[in-house]
Amino acid sequence: MKTEVSGWEPKIVAFLCNWCSYAGADLAGVSRFQYPANVRVIRVPCSGRINPFFILACLQHGADGVLVSGCHPGDCHYLSGNYSARRKFALLKRLLEYAGLEKGRVEFSWVSASEGGRFAEVIAKVTEMVKALGPARKLVKK
Amino acid sequence: MPDLSAKIREVVQKMLREQEVELVIGFEQGSMPLHSTPCFIRNEEDAQRLVWNSFCDNNLAKYLVKRPEKVAIVAKGCDTRAIVELIKEKQVPRDQVVIIGIPCQGMVDRRRIEAELELNEILEYEEQDNKLTLKGDGFTKTVNRDEYLYPCCQACPHKNPTTYDILIGDMVAEQAPDQYPDIAEFEAKPPEERWQYISGEVNKCIRCYACRNACPLCYCKECFVDKTHPQWIGKTTDTNDTFIFHLMRAFHLAGRCVECGACERACPMEVDIRKLNRKLAADVKELFGYEAGTSLDQIAPLATFRPDDPEEFMLGV
Amino acid sequence: MKAKVIKKDDIAGFLDSLLKEYEVFAPVKRDRLVVFDRIHSGKEAFLNYTTSITSPKEILLPQSETLFTYSSTDSAADVEVPSGEERPRLIFGIHPCDVKSLIFLDRIFNEEEYKDAYYLGRRHAMVVVSMGCIKPRATCFCTSVGGGPFSTEGSDLLLIDIGDEYIVQVISDKGEKLLGKAHLEDAGEDRLSLMKRVTQDAEASMAPKLNIDGLKEKLDKMFDDPIWDLLAEKCISCGVCTYLCPTCYCFDIVDETRNSGGERLRLWDSCQFPLFTLQASGENPRPTTKERYRQRIMHKFSYLIDNCGQIGCVGCGRCVTECPVNLDIRQVLTAISNR
Repeated sequence: MKTEVSGWEPKIVAFLCNWCSYAGADLAGVSRFQYPANVRVIRVPCSGRINPFFILACLQHGADGVLVSGCHPGDCHYLSGNYSARRKFALLKRLLEYAGLEKGRVEFSWVSASEGGRFAEVIAKVTEMVKALGPARKLVKK
Repeated sequence: MPDLSAKIREVVQKMLREQEVELVIGFEQGSMPLHSTPCFIRNEEDAQRLVWNSFCDNNLAKYLVKRPEKVAIVAKGCDTRAIVELIKEKQVPRDQVVIIGIPCQGMVDRRRIEAELELNEILEYEEQDNKLTLKGDGFTKTVNRDEYLYPCCQACPHKNPTTYDILIGDMVAEQAPDQYPDIAEFEAKPPEERWQYISGEVNKCIRCYACRNACPLCYCKECFVDKTHPQWIGKTTDTNDTFIFHLMRAFHLAGRCVECGACERACPMEVDIRKLNRKLAADVKELFGYEAGTSLDQIAPLATFRPDDPEEFMLGV
Repeated sequence: MKAKVIKKDDIAGFLDSLLKEYEVFAPVKRDRLVVFDRIHSGKEAFLNYTTSITSPKEILLPQSETLFTYSSTDSAADVEVPSGEERPRLIFGIHPCDVKSLIFLDRIFNEEEYKDAYYLGRRHAMVVVSMGCIKPRATCFCTSVGGGPFSTEGSDLLLIDIGDEYIVQVISDKGEKLLGKAHLEDAGEDRLSLMKRVTQDAEASMAPKLNIDGLKEKLDKMFDDPIWDLLAEKCISCGVCTYLCPTCYCFDIVDETRNSGGERLRLWDSCQFPLFTLQASGENPRPTTKERYRQRIMHKFSYLIDNCGQIGCVGCGRCVTECPVNLDIRQVLTAISNR
């Protein structure tokens, strides 16, 4: 259900892995790439650290969208953390959408430390998708 | 359904006599018609209590974890799948369990029969070949066993034990592998409708955790529902918390759930629990080519990876 | 005792008239199950049932209730207690075993030293219109624990099904007042003899009483008896028996916080859950199913008698039919009695 609430800005939580995506975000900043200010960043050592409960907790407590971003396959600082993450995310995303959560609320990406511009694009894309979906209503704990 | 009770008793008595094991876990007649109940046999005399019928539905693998002694266990196809996963997860040493495998023709859904008979309580029953004769005050009804199987038994792709030490009864013909048509059908519905359906189901839940406790693969010392630092979900029957309980319990069973149906049978409120578990089983099969409990050698899907794992769900920018 | 008669077809209308004055709780059908819930129209009541899946205790003791909410600012904290129930409540179509459980719960939550305001708010001035059991189940054992299918204890009116009509036994003044505007006919000789036949048949059809004379005395000497290892071996420590039990009342109190505020909740808890007796030190005096199952039996059939003079069981049979492993309390009590 799309509802354009005037003046509403989505809150998006982004879990970024320290070695790649967080560094990429940092590079975006240093390079002055513009991207929407809706994102709140949480730094994690590796995308493999993400417990699905983190994502659900975000949705329960006011996030309209969640992004998890890690190193490209093959580049994980801990060798295989992102591979584990990839399997978990595949299943989690499918399960959440199967249960009726709107497509676009929970997203996953690979952004490397040198991809400052790409980071900005990912954030822009996620923000656009979540904005179109409207405020999160499902899974919100009253 | 062949009457294997005598054969099972004979095998168990021999095992105990020869001290092959210290304990045998099997089924005995329950305290009500249409019920059997788990029993723990430690001597030859007690082995006479063992039965095999259309109501041996419990997944006895539940009782295997943390056993100090060597145990033999009566196991249907789905039960052996659970045992395989428990072995791979190092919860049960392979040499500490003797699997008495029994090819299963499906268990009968007593709740469905009872619902059809409404207030006519069944006081006695008899099972002969494919027929069940149910008797109560002023009525007798005969039904075909096969028309009243549990939903998980109707679609069962592994009626035969996937692993066993002793086989009692002849192997039965397996059905075609499960294609999960019910999942495809559910997925074709609009997201809002799916959300409403699952919300409606979890609203029936009273958070008794019978589903979790009946599941042989739920053996965590501290379940996530009891975690307080941090608290992931509340303990009330709030729809939100209960939704996440079921979602995440299913997720924790991804690639581990053997679809034995113990959860659904245990649930007093008749919540459609397997709706979520089956989705994950279907995805695990499609994405990772894995079916829980079918191989002692195949590594569990979330304990391994391939460099070329599917990525179509990733955000492409 | 005064006895009136009401046609089954008139029940919905009678309930509608009661709804004008009371919050009415009655059995309702949900898919294949019967549960107790608040009704807003007489048609919703479903009376053709033997045992509801959850007991009516949830009307007095909900699975979760808010004790108070709180919010804080830098200098102050606001605490808000939910306001008590205003309208009088009426429970309709409840069986005598479940009525007995209300009396039991009164002795826990409404006694000399402790009066639970939340429970009392719901229980206070509650009118009870019960329904006798003309078809007791094979798993019912109310008569073994001091009850009966037509027991009037705790009821204001008792309905007895005689076909197309109910006999309405007037038990109390409250019940009499309730019938005030309904202008029901007196039950004549014919109907009363029919009622007698129906009740006698029902009582005769019940399973033989359990022999549990002297059970408490036996239990008090059996705490360390090895029989407990065997009795509870198949228990899987879920909470079904305790949650569905009309006399189980143990609860947990938790705070759920949200930013700078939150609420304190009282929730159902179960002595069968492994964490029930887990202490902050990590010590757990009831670490396995054996200790916990023993606790269940001892609490219900010994400790409660010491503490408040009543057995903690009304023989409804819910734990028997719903236990996922068919751990039958009747078999357990018999085994202990025979020890």
